[in-house]
Amino acid sequence: MDVPIKMIDFAIAVCWIFLIMFFATAAYSVKDLGLNFGNPRIGRTTDGKTVVSLPVTITNNGYYSIDSFNFTTKVQGNDGSTITEGSTLIPTIGVGNKVSIIDNMTLDLDSLLQSNRELLSNDTQLNIVENVGMVIGEVIPVHASGNATVHWGAPFYNLKLEEPQYSMLNYTHMKVIVPISFDNHASFDVIGEAEIRMYNSTNQLIGFGQSTIDALQQSHYDGRVELDVGISSITQTGRFELDFQTSLFSSGSMVIPYG
Amino acid sequence: MVEDDNSSAFKPRKLMVKVLKATVKGVMFFVVYYVCWQFLTSFATIIPGLQQAVQIFVGVYISLIIVGEITAGTIYQYFFGVANDLFVISYLIFSLNGGTFSMMYQNVGLQVDVHLFLIIAMMLSFVGLSKTILQAIGFVSKKAEIV
Repeated sequence: MDVPIKMIDFAIAVCWIFLIMFFATAAYSVKDLGLNFGNPRIGRTTDGKTVVSLPVTITNNGYYSIDSFNFTTKVQGNDGSTITEGSTLIPTIGVGNKVSIIDNMTLDLDSLLQSNRELLSNDTQLNIVENVGMVIGEVIPVHASGNATVHWGAPFYNLKLEEPQYSMLNYTHMKVIVPISFDNHASFDVIGEAEIRMYNSTNQLIGFGQSTIDALQQSHYDGRVELDVGISSITQTGRFELDFQTSLFSSGSMVIPYG
Repeated sequence: MVEDDNSSAFKPRKLMVKVLKATVKGVMFFVVYYVCWQFLTSFATIIPGLQQAVQIFVGVYISLIIVGEITAGTIYQYFFGVANDLFVISYLIFSLNGGTFSMMYQNVGLQVDVHLFLIIAMMLSFVGLSKTILQAIGFVSKKAEIV
């Protein structure tokens, strides 16, 4: 009986050595996996949506190939709601290979800003949840997740309508010039039209004006909108309703009282 | 205690040899652990409590090897052998959290599915356990034949 027992002992020892070696080298493979992120780029789709592209480079310096590499990025608002998410799957990354991917996240900026109007004028922090899933050596599933925050710059930060300037046009109408200023903290240019509607204290529409705006990203904008208003309908108090129609989004009405 | 040789003249000498063998085995195992640990030190900084967990495992394992070696030639050798295998099985289940290893490192959560490793390791341990039980049965049978 001694010989078979010794053979079993030997077989068990060999199996243990192989098992430990395999998992130790697999652990080293995870350690030697390089994940580098490039600078995100913003583009547009044909249907007018915004695409945030995040370049990612994966370098497999480990001992085993990596299968089913799945990279998911989710951007969440402060309330935990998902703003956008993108996912990229790479079937196989061979040993010593370097793979570059672009993780695209489609963002409907228009509906985002319609549903989260505070993002128009308030800077905030958005949460980014990164999830990476992979199978190492074809048998060990590994899942990693991380959180980060990204700064959201408001496109109309510190939006102000200055004191309107009035000048006579003729006996019945006045020209009202409304200076507009804001800081574009966003990472995109705000190019489009600004529309102002002027209402008097009885909620009557008394004037309408349009102006082209061109506010580069991370810059201050000063402009003005001119309106022709009937003298008889002007009251001491009232409100302006301001709309921005840009190539990326429309702001919806922003109400700013005057007087 | 059932022993191979009941001659009292040889008892101290045999015991000395057993202790010596146990010491050599223990030291050899420790050297293997020490060499392997050099490759794992980089993980110790990432995985909190890894060194402590490995040290406890090695400590108990070496103790059981030494005790098993000292009691060699008796039925107790197999008791300690079985204890050793059961210890390995239970330690693997607890330390690997039933097959899902999770940890946090610098705001990154890592989850590794080690079910396959656990299953193979447990199978190997069970084979070892069965072998020890077979050895114990063989040992008792031999004694019965002698009597």
